[in-house]
Amino acid sequence: MVDTESQDIETATTTLQSAPDAKTRRYDRQLRLWAATGQAALELSRILVLSSDATSTSILKNLVLPGIGHFTILDDARVSPADAGNNFFLEGPRSIGKSRAEEAVRLLLEMNDGVQGVADTRSFDSIMDTDKDWFSSFTLIISHNLHPTRLDKLSNLLSSNSSAPPLIIVRSSAFLAEFFIQFHEHTIIESHSETAPSLRIDKPFPALLQHALSLDYEKMDSTEHGHTPYVYILVKAMEGWKKSHGGNPPKTTDERKEFKKGILALQRNIDEENFEEAEAQAYRCWAETKVPSEIAQLFNDPALEPAAHAQSRQPFFHLLAALKRFTEEVEPHTLPLTSTLPDMKADTTSYIHLQRLYKARAEEEKAIFQTFLDKNVDIDEDVIDLFLKNAHGLQVLRGRRWGEFERDTDAFSGALASYPKETCIHLALSALANLTVKQPGVAPTAEALRGEVLAIVGQGTELPDALDEAIGELERAPAAELPNTAALLGGLVAQEAIKMITKQYVPIKGYAVIDLIDTTTATLG
Amino acid sequence: MSLSAAQPNGTSPSDWQDRYWHVDQVLEKPGPRTDPSFLAGREVQEFLRDKCKILVIGAGGLGCEILANLALTGFKDIHVIDMDTIDVSNLNRQFLFRPADVGKPKAIVAAEFIMNRVPGVIVTPYYGKIQDKDHEYYMQFNLVICGLDSVEARRWINATLVSMVDSDNPESLKPLIDGGTEGFKGQARVILPTITSCYECSLDMLNKPTTFPICTIANTPRLPEHCIEWASVLEWPKVHGDQKLDTDDPEHISWLYGVAFKRAKEFNIEGVTWSLTQGVVKNVIPAIASTNAVIAAACCNEAFKIATSSAAYLNNYFMLIGTDGVYSYTFEHEKREHCPVCGGEALEISINHDWTVEQLMEMLTEKQDIQIKKPSLSTPLKPIYFQQPPQLEKNTRPNLEKKVSDLVAAGGEVTVTSTTLPFSLSLIINYT
Repeated sequence: MVDTESQDIETATTTLQSAPDAKTRRYDRQLRLWAATGQAALELSRILVLSSDATSTSILKNLVLPGIGHFTILDDARVSPADAGNNFFLEGPRSIGKSRAEEAVRLLLEMNDGVQGVADTRSFDSIMDTDKDWFSSFTLIISHNLHPTRLDKLSNLLSSNSSAPPLIIVRSSAFLAEFFIQFHEHTIIESHSETAPSLRIDKPFPALLQHALSLDYEKMDSTEHGHTPYVYILVKAMEGWKKSHGGNPPKTTDERKEFKKGILALQRNIDEENFEEAEAQAYRCWAETKVPSEIAQLFNDPALEPAAHAQSRQPFFHLLAALKRFTEEVEPHTLPLTSTLPDMKADTTSYIHLQRLYKARAEEEKAIFQTFLDKNVDIDEDVIDLFLKNAHGLQVLRGRRWGEFERDTDAFSGALASYPKETCIHLALSALANLTVKQPGVAPTAEALRGEVLAIVGQGTELPDALDEAIGELERAPAAELPNTAALLGGLVAQEAIKMITKQYVPIKGYAVIDLIDTTTATLG
Repeated sequence: MSLSAAQPNGTSPSDWQDRYWHVDQVLEKPGPRTDPSFLAGREVQEFLRDKCKILVIGAGGLGCEILANLALTGFKDIHVIDMDTIDVSNLNRQFLFRPADVGKPKAIVAAEFIMNRVPGVIVTPYYGKIQDKDHEYYMQFNLVICGLDSVEARRWINATLVSMVDSDNPESLKPLIDGGTEGFKGQARVILPTITSCYECSLDMLNKPTTFPICTIANTPRLPEHCIEWASVLEWPKVHGDQKLDTDDPEHISWLYGVAFKRAKEFNIEGVTWSLTQGVVKNVIPAIASTNAVIAAACCNEAFKIATSSAAYLNNYFMLIGTDGVYSYTFEHEKREHCPVCGGEALEISINHDWTVEQLMEMLTEKQDIQIKKPSLSTPLKPIYFQQPPQLEKNTRPNLEKKVSDLVAAGGEVTVTSTTLPFSLSLIINYT
């Protein structure tokens, strides 16, 4: 290494990155979660929020800070004294009487000059009547305590067009709250799954097997012996075992114990951690590498059927179709190998060598994978790499319409049995919303709320005691928007919005129901 | 506003009519799960707005959120402690700070912002360390909320509040609400010192920090992290002598990056970047506005419920994981039987008969439920090893190589102290 040092310095300095720019430094702590690709998606997004009450501005705060591209607040309200008391993005008595949207936009924008914000003071109804398409010009729409009649119109509009944006519906009253994402289809490559892709120790590729078998422990000096990576140790041991067991891996508990014992017997002294690692990782020999069931299920997705027009397919489904063919046609019928290797006890040379074996094989499999891709579609090489690296965690979510949950009797009674408290909170919030239509301006009584709940679930449905608690809380403070509830929703809803926009991590599947008395959350439906 | 009425209760000249319209709805009437001791109306409003004094520790990611929430819910006498100054990387979430504030003390800028935005709220900042303050200072508050990123500071305030509890004086029991976040994950908990499990009780829930053995760093690097550690731990002192590495100085990070990059190239290791270098040497924890908002709101909601009794409060731990949907788990964390802070009893440990004092010290540093940095040890009669003052350190140093069993009889007591912690740990030593 010494004689090449001068050259190394030269290459090092020519490819060395400079210190990050101002924007990267500002966003450093979030780039570590969603990287430049996630950030770029945020910066291209246009968000519409249908109010500028405390909850709405709390949500927007957590979207403006990480740097969305644009937001519009649609709100024709003027700031009331009560608004001025519970909303951080109003300036107390100085804002009273002014346009609530304009005040909120001004104060939200102070936090990040990279974001564009617009206050639209038109009425929701006038846009719905004359300029419907305007709603579809956004990436995502968020509503808080939107009047049920308007919510129905909006949810119908957005669900009737498959290219319309997702809608996050948020409802809250005092200590109780819920939200739901209505969307058509959501595909995720980077789910940031916590399970690691298989190392395929049970089905070693030729170069790995060959190298493992070429190792001769007897001829190794003590340094080499104590630094042989566990991957080789296991592959070699497994090959030996299979030879003496009719080609089968260790099956019974006793056989597995024996296999492990055999590995530890190779240890020259108890300091050789690599053999201990191999023993601890021995399960990799019999945990068969197959296509994970969640991924196999995706192969049945209707979007892959020949009838689904190949031309209109998203790149994701082209990639998925190629992945399906790969697992069907290429030995050993697993997902393509990735070059991500965990750290293990090894010396530099053997670790890097192992890494290169994996990398070379991953490249070969990628080349095969690419032959399965539709030639008529052009997919970026980076996207292909990302797709293959994350193939074990892919997700396709298909959303439901707002209100579909209640109509699905089986799912609904299941929820009532498994999550009585949360289902009751959801019902009570629906009842409260319905009453604002039926009896506008009248304080809801417990009796009226109960009546509405029964109207939703059907008379005679047996309801748990938790319903009285939920109803009692709503009767106590039906229109209270508590600053802490608003702030908590602000965090949760913004986080789900970020997942939808970046297509990273996994958004909630169903209704998030929040009880800030017991401080619990649960997901229904 | 049809449901509202003028609220003269607990109001002051800076309040306007209906200012607390939203909050008052839950303060004027109990709910089904409200404790019967709740004094609805005037009394609770006056307590919250005129009498209650609350301390916020930390004016960073959680602290900014906590201050805003407390101010809006009606706490008017808020104190805040923070020893840090504002960095550009704070601006993606610490929303009370602007680019022009970079370099200024967080506590002071945050306090000014809140007072400017929420009229009538007094926020008293202290730019310094929590350890600068004594019992008398902490005794003035009704509640303490922590939004810290340091385990050591949490252990210190927890032990301090536990030690302040005087069973004859109910006022001496200060509820401690603690929040913490990391990326999409976080937790909020309520600690009633001596009554519920305390921060020390749950020390073993912390993730073990990643450490790399020095021989790997020096001889067999495999990962980019190993090259970065080599640059910061071995090369920096070799090249820069006494000059201390400042992980906040971009010049220093750039130097480390260059050195690590070159080493990685030599060993054919890929993946050393500027960002990773900074992440490893500064132990950067990813942080976003949304998670902080959730956890801070959960903490402030507990403070509000405890201060007003308007609803039951959390018993006692709320854990949130936001990577896959919204998953949370609320449970009662139980007191640890031999908690050195709130358990009051000595911890019994068994060690090998041949162990040296140094080995015992190493174990104390590494053990998940103890984690004492630089411990000093003594028996009730004499010092075993003291980290300082220098003379005592020198005198006791020879003991490091002695067997513990030569210094302490079986069943004997050893007291462990550390300058970073305001409590001592009593160990009963047995031998195997």
